[in-house]
Amino acid sequence: MSEISEKVLALTVQVLGPASRRFLERQTRFHLDGLEFDDLEKEHIPELSKWVGISARLIVDDKQAAMLAEMIKKV
Amino acid sequence: MVPWYHSIITKLTVAFIILILVIAGLSVFYTFGATKTALKETTRDELVALASVVATQIDGDVLASLQPGDEDTPGFIKIRDQLYVMQSSNSEILYLYTMRKTDEGFVFVVDGEYGIADDAAGIGELYETPTDEMETGFTAPVAEKEYMTDQWGTVISGYAPVKNADGVVTGIVGVDMSAERVIERQDFIGSIIYLIMLIGIGITAVIIGIISKTMIRDIRALNDSAEKISTGDTNVLVTVVRNDEIGELASSFSRMVSSLKIMMMDEEP
Repeated sequence: MSEISEKVLALTVQVLGPASRRFLERQTRFHLDGLEFDDLEKEHIPELSKWVGISARLIVDDKQAAMLAEMIKKV
Repeated sequence: MVPWYHSIITKLTVAFIILILVIAGLSVFYTFGATKTALKETTRDELVALASVVATQIDGDVLASLQPGDEDTPGFIKIRDQLYVMQSSNSEILYLYTMRKTDEGFVFVVDGEYGIADDAAGIGELYETPTDEMETGFTAPVAEKEYMTDQWGTVISGYAPVKNADGVVTGIVGVDMSAERVIERQDFIGSIIYLIMLIGIGITAVIIGIISKTMIRDIRALNDSAEKISTGDTNVLVTVVRNDEIGELASSFSRMVSSLKIMMMDEEP
């Protein structure tokens, strides 16, 4: 797992809990052209952040989703 | 829905009220006791000071010369008037009188109310219930330690020696203060202490009520979310935000719910 992947996972777990990896894998596969989450690089962060902000709204409230997206954006 | 008698708000409120009552009760018990003692000591000091002042105004030689039947003599009338004027000018004083020691015991010499009040004592009238402080009063100003009840009522008394021109003690001045006045003061202070305690309990109960209400509101919100999930409804948002243990519980619960939703999404066809 790349260093960026680890950082993003650590942040996401704080909000979405133990199934965060599954959530992030889904985001990268569906929205980052089939990219494996473990291969995440710095250049993928803006796009991932955008989709996390959108998808997380289905799971947590808008405020938390926006906060998580912002945290990922700063990685 | 939890019955009110099992509710955390009820338990918290009852626990805090019991705690406040115990602390306030102990405080009142100690404060009131200490105040009563201090008040009595202040009264005794006042009596000693009053008796000492009055004693310096009385002619000890004239006092020594007065014998039974001298109630109409100018010497008696002068001392009686002095005592009566001082007694009348101080609302704290109930009785003001002079006494001396004889072979029979302590006898009255000049009663400040002689000829004015029906129950005033004449010269040589024996005082039936002498005390150790009365005896001490012949050497130095002193006040009774406790209230005394005699035929004139319940009083606390102070005494001071009356000296003649040669400095020889020829009698004592007695100052009586009504116990009712002292008790009135004690009751007033007691009422103030109780009032402060009641206000304190009231304010604390309101604060506890507010804190308990917000706590119970958030616990209920978490409970409602848990109940929905337990019935298969995962469309739940945990909105409880606190900085305490309930907040931590809410965050953990929120993560658990989020993960559950993610896993359920994955299983959807």
